[in-house]
Amino acid sequence: MPTMEEYAKQPREQRLHRLTRTGDELAAAIKGQSDAVLSRRPDAKNWAAKEIVCHLRDAEESFGGRFEQILAMSADPTLAGANPDRLAEERQYLRNDAAEAVGAFRKRRAETLEIFGKLTPAQWEKGGIHPVRGRITLDNFLSLMAWHDDNHLDQLRRALAGSV
Amino acid sequence: MAFSYYARLTRSQQAVYRKSDEIAEVRLPQPAALHPAVTALTTALASEDRPHVQRATERLIRDLTNALGVPPVQVEVLAARPHAKWGELHGLYTVERGKPPKIQLWMRTAKQRRVVAFRTYLRTLLHEVGHHLDYALLRLRDSYHTEGFYKRESSLFHQLVAEPRSTSPSAEAWFRRTPDERMARVAATPGQVASVLGSRGAQALAQRPALGAWAPVEVVCHLRDVEETFGERFAAILAMDEPALLEVGPADRWAEERQYLRHDAATALAHFRHRRGESLETLVGLSPSQWQRGGEHPARGRLSIDMLVALMAWHDDNHLEQLTRAVEGQP
Repeated sequence: MPTMEEYAKQPREQRLHRLTRTGDELAAAIKGQSDAVLSRRPDAKNWAAKEIVCHLRDAEESFGGRFEQILAMSADPTLAGANPDRLAEERQYLRNDAAEAVGAFRKRRAETLEIFGKLTPAQWEKGGIHPVRGRITLDNFLSLMAWHDDNHLDQLRRALAGSV
Repeated sequence: MAFSYYARLTRSQQAVYRKSDEIAEVRLPQPAALHPAVTALTTALASEDRPHVQRATERLIRDLTNALGVPPVQVEVLAARPHAKWGELHGLYTVERGKPPKIQLWMRTAKQRRVVAFRTYLRTLLHEVGHHLDYALLRLRDSYHTEGFYKRESSLFHQLVAEPRSTSPSAEAWFRRTPDERMARVAATPGQVASVLGSRGAQALAQRPALGAWAPVEVVCHLRDVEETFGERFAAILAMDEPALLEVGPADRWAEERQYLRHDAATALAHFRHRRGESLETLVGLSPSQWQRGGEHPARGRLSIDMLVALMAWHDDNHLEQLTRAVEGQP
């Protein structure tokens, strides 16, 4: 699995292509799994499969919001830190239907790819200030998302197998 | 019909007058498409800032003329109304040969110099636009104040401003109240939501009162998730100078995507209460100048933290009413 730094060295097209595959990979991973399996947390600290899918869905919306803010402002915006565990609790991911969540993820991902598809070279270099990562450009976000997808797909397969 | 006035008109003028009187309505193809511009105008008036009102007025009039496919009209927003013995001038439409038509509107009253109430301002705006439409849309040779003219003005008004079913104050009324009243209002909401939900079971709370109307649990989840957005906006405004505030949701999309109907209402309420507590904690710690910090919202224009709290109060009222109806099975 490439690291974020390794992704950063890949041509943009290749990274974009990675993002196009994720919807299908999620759907394939959860296909035929019972709700009980999808809702099973491998241990007290780790997410169940459906929580991972819901996280990807909501993270996609959050990525889109960040891109919108970066593109709307002339100065680098201060980006808010994320708290995925809090959202998993608050938005009651365990009560969600995983297949529906994959459907919603696909729509949000298509919107992300549409935004990426329209960026000018100068816009790819626009960025914001991330509380942990410092300045992060839209191009960096593309690498981050590719890595984030890999990471959670891997976590999803482990969760389905009952391991952490 | 104003008979003495009418009697003094020439025969051809009378024909124009009668035609104007016969047309009772100007129908907008998609009124909802203009609602964001109307909302932006309420915010602009609340800001009491003339350039802001100018921009919002231009936008609404441009949207109106575009929607009706008529040529544009110049707009000028002025400060205090001129006054004379006969009263105050609210607005003016002028057409001079060789020049583009122009609308002038005054945003403050003559004597008190107070900002004109939103509905009055919108009425005046539509009145002047009505004169423009008489020429540009209805192709009348003159624009008379016939009964038909006033009906057309009203028809536009009602398409742009949905009459509230409720008795609660509007967003603009909340803008006029004191910060303490607004804070007291938003602090009370979690308790009020709890008392409306009472001890109803999950099945009852997931019941949609009508097609397209939210079930009680969806209303509670909406309040919870919007509170998160309010918190993010406060944080963005405090961390940056005049940040871009983003449109979120839309609300129906969140309800669908986040699967609100499957959520537990009591848990959602507990999280809403927690988020609201955090909002209040941020707000009570603000200095007077921080209350006036703001950001630019794509639909509403500039919003200060104080104005966001007014919107929060109005939003709470609105959804508490909806929730009260929903638990009774009413949309």
